[in-house]
Amino acid sequence: MAEITPEEITVTDFAVREHRSLWVDAWRRLISSNTARLGMFIVAFFLLSTTFAHFFWEYEPKKDLNYSLKLKPPTLIPNEEVPSVHPFGTDKLGRDIFRRVVHGGWNSLRVGIVAVSISLFFGGLTGLFTGFYENIDTTHIEKLFLFGLTGLVLGSLSAWIAAQPIQAIFFAILGVIAAYFKDFQKGKALRMVVFAIAGALIGAILGAFVSSAVALISLIWGAITGALLSRPLEGKFFSNVMMRLMDIILSFPGYLLAIAIVAFLGPGLEKGMIAIGVVGIPVYARLTRSAVLSVSQKEYILAAQSVGEGHGRIIFRHITPNILSPIIVQTTMGLAGAILSAAALGFLGLGAIPPEPEWGSMLGDSYRYLTSGAWWAVLFPGLAIMFSVLGFNLLGDGLRDALDPKLRT
Amino acid sequence: MTPLLEIKNLKTRFFTSEGVVKAVNNVSYSMESGEILGVVGESGCGKSVHALSIMQLVQDPPGKITNGEVWLDGKDLLTFSEKEMKKIRGSDVAMIFQDPMTSLNPVFTVGFQIVEALRLHNDMTKAEARERAGELLALVGIPGAEQRLDDYPHQFSGGMRQRAMIAMGLSCEPKLLIADEPTTALDVTIQAQIVDLVKKLQDDLGMAIMWITHDLGVIAEMADRINVMYAGAIIESGNVRNIYKKTRHPYTMGLLGSLPRLDEDPGAELLSVPGLPPDLLALPKGCAFAARCGYRTEKCLEEKPPLEEIDGREHAVACWHWEEIAGSK
Repeated sequence: MAEITPEEITVTDFAVREHRSLWVDAWRRLISSNTARLGMFIVAFFLLSTTFAHFFWEYEPKKDLNYSLKLKPPTLIPNEEVPSVHPFGTDKLGRDIFRRVVHGGWNSLRVGIVAVSISLFFGGLTGLFTGFYENIDTTHIEKLFLFGLTGLVLGSLSAWIAAQPIQAIFFAILGVIAAYFKDFQKGKALRMVVFAIAGALIGAILGAFVSSAVALISLIWGAITGALLSRPLEGKFFSNVMMRLMDIILSFPGYLLAIAIVAFLGPGLEKGMIAIGVVGIPVYARLTRSAVLSVSQKEYILAAQSVGEGHGRIIFRHITPNILSPIIVQTTMGLAGAILSAAALGFLGLGAIPPEPEWGSMLGDSYRYLTSGAWWAVLFPGLAIMFSVLGFNLLGDGLRDALDPKLRT
Repeated sequence: MTPLLEIKNLKTRFFTSEGVVKAVNNVSYSMESGEILGVVGESGCGKSVHALSIMQLVQDPPGKITNGEVWLDGKDLLTFSEKEMKKIRGSDVAMIFQDPMTSLNPVFTVGFQIVEALRLHNDMTKAEARERAGELLALVGIPGAEQRLDDYPHQFSGGMRQRAMIAMGLSCEPKLLIADEPTTALDVTIQAQIVDLVKKLQDDLGMAIMWITHDLGVIAEMADRINVMYAGAIIESGNVRNIYKKTRHPYTMGLLGSLPRLDEDPGAELLSVPGLPPDLLALPKGCAFAARCGYRTEKCLEEKPPLEEIDGREHAVACWHWEEIAGSK
């Protein structure tokens, strides 16, 4: 037997430990779940097939028209009556439903993804800032920023009434000015009067370009905004203004507000994206804010401050990664909801402009023919909506279990 | 020689919906460089809040430092802006927190967090900072330090996390290290290790340490001087010998009496200070401890005793009757 000297001992594999991050762990939990895998498969299938179809399978909806093939049932083998293959049948204009479902997916999924991105971006930032500044002493530059933002948000109301976006910018500037001269007549009534008059002037002068009625409304709202901005603005006030705005959005029934926004902006895919996105903002804002509020009480945030890290760094470096898991789950679930909302808008004729294919509008076009037996024209776009929503929901459930094992039932 | 840290008339208040919580009341003391100062007192007596006030990390709102001066190395910290404080935190004063389980960010590796603290105050490349982080982890006694840099906090035990926190605190070689109950959440053997480690590091690096705790045993072993706090004020301060052997304040006597002793009958009942600490929302007019004190007189209820020096810097006490207490012993 060979002699072993201490020099010969090297660290073997099992003595070197694997450095597994939370995300790697979560990924392993995710792919070990059957339902999550099914969800991932469905989502990937829809995303890949629609993307490939969009780029590699040309389709011009405006030229797609063939009355001789009107409302034919699914045909796999060409015959005398139907000379071409239509696996899902044809619709009232003789268009191939299979083709339109695949290309409609590009539009439907795009609306969902863009709408959720809008909600996530604005809602997430709102939640981050309102949550973080709720209980923290703000520096001068942060005050400028928060004041400006509050002015922008408050001003956007009268800007919206007057259909004059420039108003919001002027009120944002007023906010910055209020923050810059924060010691001017501090705590005295004069300060409030000065800023209320300044706000009223901005509203009245800008509003006068539109009409006298608008000028009056802008004047009143401008005076209120100016008075609010003259207060000693702490993070708490900013957070209050933003969250009450979110409450206002939330107090409208979601679909109704989306329909109202589309009616205001005019129909079209892009308008639908904006409408659904805006309606979703409060959900993400509240979720993010609650997560930020609980994470910022943790000792590691205090520890980060005690080694001298700045607020911005703490928000984006330390807090954000810790609140990602509920947001990822909500985003995935939200995609399903946004696809459904997009389909609902399309069904009502407020989404894609015909003849552009879109699942919801395909349903809306064809449900009348159900009574004459053309079940295929409704069934296949409906199935597409159902399966894509199911896929995102399954994936969202799986992600929730994977990212937060404590919640698993 | 000017002291490293000098606090004058520090007052910290919390403005809550129920009223003003007087968390720190007129605290004044000084610390020399290289000194270990123990701060003791029961829960809620303002130990941690006064330390956070030094760092200006009191949560605002609702907290606010309403009065006082904090001189560190000839600079009045309370006049500093948030931006200037950012440079002081971590480089001149560092702080270690009570609960090692929550004071490391769970989504980053331990190495990343130490490297970040290093690079914030020093002009270092990533590789240099990483190397230094490895040295620091080795310094605080973590075996295989180089490899453990890539571990996440959940892969560390409680004691190791506290060591990692100490490494982070030491990273920029602060002049003053504030340790806020660093051993409370650890079991006794690990506590002893951490105490030994801090003592050794203090010998090697020579920084001043403020050790906040309610464990009088730990303090006796390591501190040079002790401040005993009660209801947001210092009621007795002095060197370890004076505090333990020539105790003059009835509260300190009560605290010491409540410790189990090895040379006593193991069956004997431990003493306890009767009653509860006063409500910081409504402090009594006179001595805050009077309600629980066996030496109480009319004067105690009417007038607040000042912190009176018995032996210069070596011993001071805030009690009207310290002379009688000294005579009775």
